[in-house]
Amino acid sequence: MIERTNEQWIADLTTSSAGQTQALQDLRERLQRGIFYYLSRERSDLAQLSTQELTQMAEDLAQDATLRVMENLDSFRGDSRFTTWATKIAVRVAISDLRRARYKDFRLDDVTAEDELLPAAANLNNHNPLPNPESAAERSDVMTKIDSALREALTDRQYQALEAVALRGVPLEVVAEQMGTNRNALYKLVHDARRKLRTSLEAQGLSMDYMMDLFQD
Amino acid sequence: MLQDQLDKLLQSILRAHEDGMDCESCNAEFECLAEQVAAGGDIHALLPAVEAHLTCCSDCREEFEALVLIIRAENGGLTSQLTD
Repeated sequence: MIERTNEQWIADLTTSSAGQTQALQDLRERLQRGIFYYLSRERSDLAQLSTQELTQMAEDLAQDATLRVMENLDSFRGDSRFTTWATKIAVRVAISDLRRARYKDFRLDDVTAEDELLPAAANLNNHNPLPNPESAAERSDVMTKIDSALREALTDRQYQALEAVALRGVPLEVVAEQMGTNRNALYKLVHDARRKLRTSLEAQGLSMDYMMDLFQD
Repeated sequence: MLQDQLDKLLQSILRAHEDGMDCESCNAEFECLAEQVAAGGDIHALLPAVEAHLTCCSDCREEFEALVLIIRAENGGLTSQLTD
């Protein structure tokens, strides 16, 4: 494969000639190798796939990524290697695809304020027995306040987003798609929810350090 | 499991930083930062605001870590073959 400077990559990819065909092929192959490496070395959830299946997956993702790179070529600022910038796009394409596949059955509508977001204090105490009834009562009291803060300080949308993202670990972009928003806006929504919750709890005299200590094993 | 759920909530609140870099701003720094981190740079010293965002945002963290991994592999000649 030809080694190119950033300027050569841009020139070759934007010139209608045989050079463009070669540059597209080189870019696609480079992205495919990077994606294959990531899929085969880092994704334990894909460990059951054969090398052939992973190769095919990497090929398909690299094809999509190459198209995405070409669509966004004007936004390359030139402050990194071109191939690093292109790989960033390829990583987003690949991981987004994997997230969508993994959470294809997730329905945000199943996450509602009627859910018991936090475990009942009694259950928590059974799970982590305390040496005395006073501590159990203290936990129960704090748990009630946390639950109350969750329901009163947050909007339904914030509650839903916080549970899905922070507690269930659902990727932002999966939740954002179902909320009809984008990942950036959802991040801000969840961030605001965290801050509101913290403010509400601290207003009730519950510092984070105190709660972490109280619920330690 | 129950303790885990409560821990996740408290940790999530604790990690909420004040300056609030968003995902788009963070992503715009990725390529330069990833090259430096792959070469041994310390993200905390290079761009603490990005580090703070990555602590809060698992989506961005997963993508940044993957990018650094691939750059390191490329620099080390580990991606020269498509298959093992």
